[in-house]
Amino acid sequence: MMLSKDRIGGVLLLLFCLIYAWLSQDIRLLPFQERAAFHARTMPEILSILGIGLALWTIILPGKSERPELGGADWLKAGLFLVLMSAYGFTVRPLGFILSTSLFLMIGYALLGERKLVPLVLASVPLVVAFWVLMTQGLDVFIEPWPGFLRE
Amino acid sequence: MIEGIMIGLGTALTLQNLLFVMMGCLVGTFIGMLPGLGPMSAIALMIPIAASLDPSAGIILMAAVYYGAIFGGSTSSILINAPGVASTVATSFDGYPMAKQGKAGKALAIAAYSSFSGGVIAALFLLVAAPFLASVSLSFQSTDYFALMVLGLVAVSAFAGKGDMIKALLMTVIGLMLSTVGTDQTQGVPRFTLGIIDLIDGISFLLLVMATFALSEALMAILRPKGDADRQKEKEASENLGSMKVSRAEVREMAPVIGRSSVLGFLIGVLPGAGATIASFLAYGTEQRIAGPKKGAEFGKGSIRGLSAPETANNAAATGSFVPLLTLGIPGSGTTAIMLGALIGYGIQPGPRLYVDQPEIFWSVIVSMWIGNIILLVLNLPLIPYIAKVLAIPSRFLLPLILFFSLIGVYFVSFNTFDIQLMVIFAVAAVILRVLDFPMAPMILGFILGGMMEENLRRALLINNGSWSFLWERPLTVTILAIAAACLLLPFLTGWLRRVKDRAYEKTSSSGD
Repeated sequence: MMLSKDRIGGVLLLLFCLIYAWLSQDIRLLPFQERAAFHARTMPEILSILGIGLALWTIILPGKSERPELGGADWLKAGLFLVLMSAYGFTVRPLGFILSTSLFLMIGYALLGERKLVPLVLASVPLVVAFWVLMTQGLDVFIEPWPGFLRE
Repeated sequence: MIEGIMIGLGTALTLQNLLFVMMGCLVGTFIGMLPGLGPMSAIALMIPIAASLDPSAGIILMAAVYYGAIFGGSTSSILINAPGVASTVATSFDGYPMAKQGKAGKALAIAAYSSFSGGVIAALFLLVAAPFLASVSLSFQSTDYFALMVLGLVAVSAFAGKGDMIKALLMTVIGLMLSTVGTDQTQGVPRFTLGIIDLIDGISFLLLVMATFALSEALMAILRPKGDADRQKEKEASENLGSMKVSRAEVREMAPVIGRSSVLGFLIGVLPGAGATIASFLAYGTEQRIAGPKKGAEFGKGSIRGLSAPETANNAAATGSFVPLLTLGIPGSGTTAIMLGALIGYGIQPGPRLYVDQPEIFWSVIVSMWIGNIILLVLNLPLIPYIAKVLAIPSRFLLPLILFFSLIGVYFVSFNTFDIQLMVIFAVAAVILRVLDFPMAPMILGFILGGMMEENLRRALLINNGSWSFLWERPLTVTILAIAAACLLLPFLTGWLRRVKDRAYEKTSSSGD
């Protein structure tokens, strides 16, 4: 069996649907609800059957036999950006908006090839400060600008 | 209707809303021009801002961003042969050759005039069709709505293209599955929350849209960076546009094309699932056939008709797709699905009641389409040489900024850092599925319609004493479901017919030998 794009995607989504079907049986129902025509499990059960059926169809009768092109793609850089985004999520509160966002942008620019310090700083700090002013003053959305140790 | 137009004018022509239309058109053009970011990402990026406005202003802003983004997409199609979205692919067939001949300015002007005309004419049709359809659909019951949603979801998949229908259907089901995460609306039971309190309210649609469109687009650009030659091409294109003047003879040539493509685009746009892409290709093909052998041969080499037709049709279809959204509450495309999500966020349920209960929203959207189109022409066209400079911004600065705006857009709505982590997870899944050529738009449509579909199915079963017989007993429901079934079977049927025809041809040619 050839590992085409459709088949790989089909297998991944089949796994997702199987896990979904399994978790759908954990939805708690009260005794009187179990005999009702429609309850909290009805839709998930219908969707599980549909999802598993369609995923199997994709695996058995794939529409295209094209193989995935994994070469030439910069997976490491994309992975580093995912780590960077996740780290931003963890630091935006403790470090405050201005410091965490400036760092996020500077590291992002650097990862994509910008090596000079001046453009790194100029394309991040003023922009972040301006954005913070726009949000807090213009749209009344407050976000803590400073790191925890600088707050009162 | 006159009263409605006056209500719409009264709402849309306030200074604040006019400013939002202008801002929306400009920002939309700017975002639409960025490589990879289309109208869906543009609207999604604006939702956090729109959420802080009143519903009319928010919807007006998003509609303006929609038009702006389509126009922006056309600009990058013409200048650098890089259509940001599928609906502007046909624009590049003749727009890019014109740009290569040193007529980029003229091509942009033709695209702008065509988009404007298509949008305005289609808005006129919308003005007539939407109230009519809304009054008809007032008699619809939950069973019919359930059937309509099935039709909407199936139609989007059916138009996905050869070999892609099953994948699109599978992605629709995945979207429906994701919509069941969180507390069950009627029984208050948590579903698929995995014990995580942050999932009790379900997955935010903004989060899902941002992660699967904006974030994954940027990550795909990081995965497969552009070469130096492409970057040079973008820089040169943004610097030399040439004259934007269109001669009288060219206007005469464009006029009938615009008329035909507006009607075609609007009708295709009204159909759920068909949308601007099919409209633009169909208009291009139709005009090529009508043009005859001499003029038809110019198509693909810088033909004015070839540029005007898809540009008119895609804008007319964008307007047409608002008909099912405003009157039935069923989005006809991924973009209107995002708009539906935003409307629901405001506590507004689009559908026939919107026309009766909140006429100011209904009419202001229609009127703002005219105003948006006028602003696109008056404001954006002269500014295009400056907006085009965005193509010269190095991607090393652009991509981290897109990631930042996507993350912060979601964070500013919920102020929950868990959402950022969830976005990263969805972005990973979206990138993998994109690499494997699985479409994202059907998933979003499924996700947004999921809750309503479940609710309508529950109500339908309640009305029918728990019996599923409504699926085959109520004539209107049966008709809609039959159309959905036809949409599903049509690609298989045409495929089978083609195979039979090919076999018959092979037989006759071999017997002839």
